Amino acid sequence: MTAILEARHLAKQVSTSEGQLVILKDINLSIEPAETVAIVGASGSGKSTLLGLMAGLDTASSGDMLLDGDNLSAMNEDERAIIRGQSVGFVFQSFQLLPSLTALENVMLPIELKNDSDARGKAARLLQRVGLESRLHHYPNQLSGGEQQRVAIARAFASEARILFADEPTGNLDTATGAKVIDLLFSLNAEFSTTLVLVTHDDRLAARCKRVIRLVAGDITEDSRHE
Amino acid sequence: MSDQGSKSVNGAGLQRLTLIRIALRLLWRDWRGGELKLLLFAMIMAVTSVSGIALFTDRLERALLQESANMLAADRVLSGRTQPPREWLQEAESRGLQTAEFVAFASMVFSDQGNMLVSAKAVSDAYPLRGELQVADRPFGPPYVSDQGGPEPGEVWVESRILPALGAEVGDSIYLGDAEFVVSRVLVQEPDRQQGGMMENAGPRLLMHLEDVPATNIIQPGSRLTYRYLFAGDQAALETFADWLQSQPENGFRLSDVRDESQEVAEALGRAESFLMLGSLFAVLLAGIAIALTARRYSERHFDYAAILKTIGCTAGQISAIYFVILAALLVLAVVLGSVLGWLVHEAILMALASVIPIQLPEASFLPYTIGAATALICLFAFALPPLLALKHISPLRVLRKDLDDSHLSTRLPYALGLAGALVLILWYSQDLLISAILVAAVAGVAVTLGLLSLLLLRSGSAVGMRAGSASMLAMSAVRRRRRQSVLQVLVFSLTIMSLLTLALLRTDLIRDWQAQLPENTPNHFMMNITESQVDGMEAFLAQRDIATNAFYPMMTAGLVSVNGEPPRNPWDDDDDEGQQNLTERSGQLNEMSPQDGQSADAQSEGEEGERERVINRQVTYTDSLPPDNQIVAGEWWSGADIAGQVSVEDDYASRLGVSLGDELVFRVGEDEVTVTVTSMRSVRWDNMQPNFFFIFSPGTLDYLGATYLSTLLLEGEEKLQLNELLRQFPTIVVLEVDALIEQIQTIIAQVSSAIELIAVLVLLSGALVLLACVNATLDERFRENAILRTLGAGRRLILNALLLEFAFIGLLAGLIATIGAELSLYYLQTQVFGQDFRLHYWVWFAGPLAGTIIIAALGVNATRRVVNTSPLAVLRQLTV
Repeated sequence: MTAILEARHLAKQVSTSEGQLVILKDINLSIEPAETVAIVGASGSGKSTLLGLMAGLDTASSGDMLLDGDNLSAMNEDERAIIRGQSVGFVFQSFQLLPSLTALENVMLPIELKNDSDARGKAARLLQRVGLESRLHHYPNQLSGGEQQRVAIARAFASEARILFADEPTGNLDTATGAKVIDLLFSLNAEFSTTLVLVTHDDRLAARCKRVIRLVAGDITEDSRHE
Repeated sequence: MSDQGSKSVNGAGLQRLTLIRIALRLLWRDWRGGELKLLLFAMIMAVTSVSGIALFTDRLERALLQESANMLAADRVLSGRTQPPREWLQEAESRGLQTAEFVAFASMVFSDQGNMLVSAKAVSDAYPLRGELQVADRPFGPPYVSDQGGPEPGEVWVESRILPALGAEVGDSIYLGDAEFVVSRVLVQEPDRQQGGMMENAGPRLLMHLEDVPATNIIQPGSRLTYRYLFAGDQAALETFADWLQSQPENGFRLSDVRDESQEVAEALGRAESFLMLGSLFAVLLAGIAIALTARRYSERHFDYAAILKTIGCTAGQISAIYFVILAALLVLAVVLGSVLGWLVHEAILMALASVIPIQLPEASFLPYTIGAATALICLFAFALPPLLALKHISPLRVLRKDLDDSHLSTRLPYALGLAGALVLILWYSQDLLISAILVAAVAGVAVTLGLLSLLLLRSGSAVGMRAGSASMLAMSAVRRRRRQSVLQVLVFSLTIMSLLTLALLRTDLIRDWQAQLPENTPNHFMMNITESQVDGMEAFLAQRDIATNAFYPMMTAGLVSVNGEPPRNPWDDDDDEGQQNLTERSGQLNEMSPQDGQSADAQSEGEEGERERVINRQVTYTDSLPPDNQIVAGEWWSGADIAGQVSVEDDYASRLGVSLGDELVFRVGEDEVTVTVTSMRSVRWDNMQPNFFFIFSPGTLDYLGATYLSTLLLEGEEKLQLNELLRQFPTIVVLEVDALIEQIQTIIAQVSSAIELIAVLVLLSGALVLLACVNATLDERFRENAILRTLGAGRRLILNALLLEFAFIGLLAGLIATIGAELSLYYLQTQVFGQDFRLHYWVWFAGPLAGTIIIAALGVNATRRVVNTSPLAVLRQLTV
């Protein structure tokens, strides 16, 4: 099977006042379609940076990042934006909903950007699927954290993305709510056969993924699969 | 990469409509969320103040011009001592202009019981073309507007005081030359009563029909007459006609408008126009700053928006398009609402001014709305577009890394664009390089001063930590930590306060100047041709009737023959100005043609250039005390004994003549030549409608040559009747009545003063908006910082005090810089543009910084009060979402 995500000698450094700081060094990995992957590691190990590079939110200092066969490293920001719009969905720790749009409008946004004429219907069905049919016209600040994250999940699946990136999706939620959100994420993931890459501190969350990649100081120290 | 091409095509294929829909939805939500309100308000304010002021000035200017045209009874007047070719009237008519004509002359009028010197004016049917004739049915009766032009042939209208002097009533017959006329009405006022030569104003007015002139047989070869052709019509036709007239070979005729005719009115109008223009300039600049500040804050609050939009697939171009649509929608909204509000504002101004602008204002043109819309457009492109377009550069990585600092985007914004926009606006409005230069220099000056001051004050200590121990330490460390923002805030506050101070002080000075020019009890009658023996008798006469007397100035014509042995230089060489025709000079001409001496003198007081020598004739006086409103600017005024042989020269005139202190001047008075030394230079208020002289001699120099005297009187309403008795007792004196002119000037000044007040208020509103926007611009950071401080245990009082001190310090600094800037710009504006004398405004040096401190502290604390009233958790949560 062709890899949907492939990192080749991926490295990231940044300049600081104290010289070059290496965040990621020579990362090589490949992720198959419909795989569920957890990237774990301590704070500052480079996991969020890796997620950002894989999702095309940032560019590598060297090496190639291929997403669905497209080399993100060779693209400019606009080209990557188009790829993101077509293939990638996001769920963030801090939800990242547009505060001035309702739940429905937030979910409609990526569908509209694809020029789909049924944005409203599709968004409403997705929100119904995440159990928020009674909250369609609420603004983010009128929703609880769990509800906001469910809206974010609905939005992530709205673009019919092939890959879903999640950055600490339960980081801002209490344990019970977090568990419900994760259940939802995994069941939707199975339903849509999406590839899921998530960054987490949470071992229980990581354990629900079929593959765990551990980063220590910018290096992959463990890459394990389990059924 | 194989299928990227098709993906791009698909992505680029996003319909514009979708983007517009998304943009409008964001706009609507942001509006409801309050995000856009300040930006929209700033834009509306810009359009409102500009279109409001433009509408008002447009209509007021037309009204003032119309009102001043009334003072001429026409838009243009052609005058001459001989009759201008009649074809010129036909030419004007063929160009669509209205025409009228009259001839004026001084003559005696008789009845069976008496006679009187009157200034007769024979008018054609169409007279007056502008303004109206006010008449009454009996002497001093209630006036009403005449429903016809002038009198019918065979009839005359006379001013009230002619009738008692002739012992006649309305309906009686009187005689002028060989003709007999029926007095059909009493003339109360004619629009152009005070215009023109003295022959038209030598006595009370008698108005007759032009057709009747030949029957009187008064006009003989050599008669002293004034011919006037009046023209009215639209501006373009008037101008092409003026060009055509200029191309005619005949000369000796002068086409003039009200500005040429009345220096006093021209000056008031000119200053008012400059002030109104300056006022709208400030209003636009302030609104521009408010737009820039609010747009920047809006853009900063949209950093996350842009990042989220990018993660879900928006390209930079699409993000720009979205914000462009938002701005375009705002622009349309602002132009529509601002124009409506501007119209309401100008209507409100007019309503407030109803008592001082009794005249019907002409409709405004469409131009003010265009100016308002264009201003919004320029403000938008120059001030609001750059920060919003910068949003496309936001990194999408921001969604993962909250700490990602994109603030460099807003500080790196193309300020050059804003600056260029401001310059374009200033130049476009003022069409005046001088005012633009002064304004730009003032802004630049403030910026430089500020740079230096902020270096000195803000870098005076290191900014380690928050120094949360005491409120003052906390406040100062806040100012230093936010150095860039603090400097920006001080800059904006300084510019705002400077604009307000400049305008307020200019307004006060202008109005005070005008009030000083023509105070309440300005004498409104000139008495001339008084012999020395009559002075005592007249003083007694006036004292008996409780009429205040003023100084009696001896007056005579003296011709300047040489300056240090050389012929005098023509003082008006450098322009076409015929010289300052002040009232005294005009009186002199009248003196010379008064019926008493029966001599005909050239009324042209200026530049009588003989074949062999040039003699400059001037009306001169001698006195031992400096006349009021005169100030010695060089040398010394004479005092003590043995002061004969000195002359004091008006300063500006002296430099035109090339005369300096110590120069020896030779004057010819009659047959005598008098040699004098220049011992002082004076400044003179030419516009105060009082006796003013270019040359004043020391007592003992000219006394023996015999002079007639000149004095002034204040007569109001029915007091004027006393003039008849005065003239009966002293039949040789000539009275020049300038009461109507003074009243007209006072009306115009009152209108202009009220307009100035209102413009100042409008600019004040713009200023308040800027202050508010500027305080709001740093709210987020203050919220975050103070929330953190509070979670760490800082008390409300400490934080409030620190905020108060921080804003007070910024306000103090801004007030100080603003005061310096205002005084400097005032110096240039008053001396270069408004022709005023500059004086330091000492009280402002206290009031400016104090007002800055109090206003900024109050506004700042009021806006940030929520900082201490909202729970810290709510603040932190809100700001991190």
